[in-house]
Amino acid sequence: MQLKKPIGAALASATCGLLGALPAIPVAAQEAPTWEVDTSLLYYAEDAGRVSDGSLMTSIRRLLDEDRSYSLILTVDALTGATPNGAVPSNSVQTFTAPSGGADYTIAPGDPPLDPNFMDTRVALSGNWQQALGESMRWNVGFSGSYEMDYLHLGLNTRLERDFNRRNTTVFVGAAYGRDDVSPIGGAPVGFSPMLRSVGGGEDEDEDEDEEGAGGGEPKDVIDALIGVTQVLSRRSLLAVAFSYGKSDGYLTDAYKILSVVDPVTGAPVPGPVGSGLNLYLHELRPDTRAKQSWFAEWRYAFDRDSLAVSYRLMDDDWGVTSNTVETRYRWNISEDTYLEPHLRYYKQSAADFYRTVLFDGEPLPQFASADYRLADNETYTAGIKYGHRTERGEYSVRLEYYHQTANPSPGSAVGDLANFDLVPPLSAVIAQFGYKFSF
Amino acid sequence: MNRQRQCLLILIALGGAALGGCATVEPWERDLHAREDMRPNEHDAAIDDHIYFSKEASSGGRGFAGGGCGCN
Repeated sequence: MQLKKPIGAALASATCGLLGALPAIPVAAQEAPTWEVDTSLLYYAEDAGRVSDGSLMTSIRRLLDEDRSYSLILTVDALTGATPNGAVPSNSVQTFTAPSGGADYTIAPGDPPLDPNFMDTRVALSGNWQQALGESMRWNVGFSGSYEMDYLHLGLNTRLERDFNRRNTTVFVGAAYGRDDVSPIGGAPVGFSPMLRSVGGGEDEDEDEDEEGAGGGEPKDVIDALIGVTQVLSRRSLLAVAFSYGKSDGYLTDAYKILSVVDPVTGAPVPGPVGSGLNLYLHELRPDTRAKQSWFAEWRYAFDRDSLAVSYRLMDDDWGVTSNTVETRYRWNISEDTYLEPHLRYYKQSAADFYRTVLFDGEPLPQFASADYRLADNETYTAGIKYGHRTERGEYSVRLEYYHQTANPSPGSAVGDLANFDLVPPLSAVIAQFGYKFSF
Repeated sequence: MNRQRQCLLILIALGGAALGGCATVEPWERDLHAREDMRPNEHDAAIDDHIYFSKEASSGGRGFAGGGCGCN
């Protein structure tokens, strides 16, 4: 029953989440539960045997009093499947060496080169403390951390919110710092070095490499800053606008991605290092800094029964990526206990300056190059719906989403045989989420 | 004028408009704003952001991008 009641100002502000999200507008204080628990089980699956992910996420929020609260979020992800390695299809069988150097895998003629050895478990924990500073200010401080076999993230963040105009306006500023250590299995390859067949490839060697990788990896520092305002426009609507700036410095290359080197006329792969039996595939290389900025605006409108949220984000960075994202959700409150929430999202980005679907034999190497489809000129759409039902014990929900991405190869890539292939195959994924939340 | 400075000016202008150009809604008129569906769902947003972050070159916007990952 508590879930149906408006909750207090402290709780409303506490919904800002752990990572510095937009603050909710303060509302009049009323009865508030002491504990809030929100948990969900997520299944994410891409088509064509690509990545699938099973994830469990639990958020716990504790209200100590009207002025203070803390929260924790624990996430465990188990990922398996195949992921594009960056190479392009070919008319002949292609052989690749797995990142560990221990096992080769082959790709049939015409098939997209997918590395089938993708498997990882990710554990992430974040926490947040919120404290009122007087009647109109709130201060948040939080931490975040995540661990994967080849990746460690640790971070701190803080945010200050100030209400003005009889709490119709909330201005917020925030900052975050993250330190990541990337420890690729088999070590971080030198940029543009050719893929080699493993020497020995025995278990002992793999173990040694894993041990090396888990310790001192390639570092990456990330700094983010955020400033914004949430404004009540009327009894029914509010607008939030935020500007954020982020700078990454360190190892930004994907150690597992390669590029095909092909004949500039026929498009056929060229032979790799003598005696390797491999075609020529070069490890990618990205700049070691990235600065990005984004504008975000969200408008919410309450109908008598339902509500509508529309948001827009513009992002650009010094890698040449500019993206536009439009997203909307309509909350159809069928009854006091039951709702449906359709969701649509459209995203479009330009390619990074150094994105190359292939490299051509005989041409000088660029300063940087990556064939990662996530840096290509691409567009995606997401369509989904969420069903929720409240009982006296809590709220159950089911969410289904469909995600589809199409990308374009870099101009001039489809030479010779390559014109017959889908150089950057489309990606489709389904997302199923089961949620249960309650408070007491 | 560079892009960042333009953005900052736009933000200041929006902030000023928000502070001065809107009717005040009194606390007792906040019944609709207090509704649960008028507040951000941070739990779902965190899940979505992580998925999009691992498939697209953009992240963050509404807040910080959050913890990194070696997503493939």
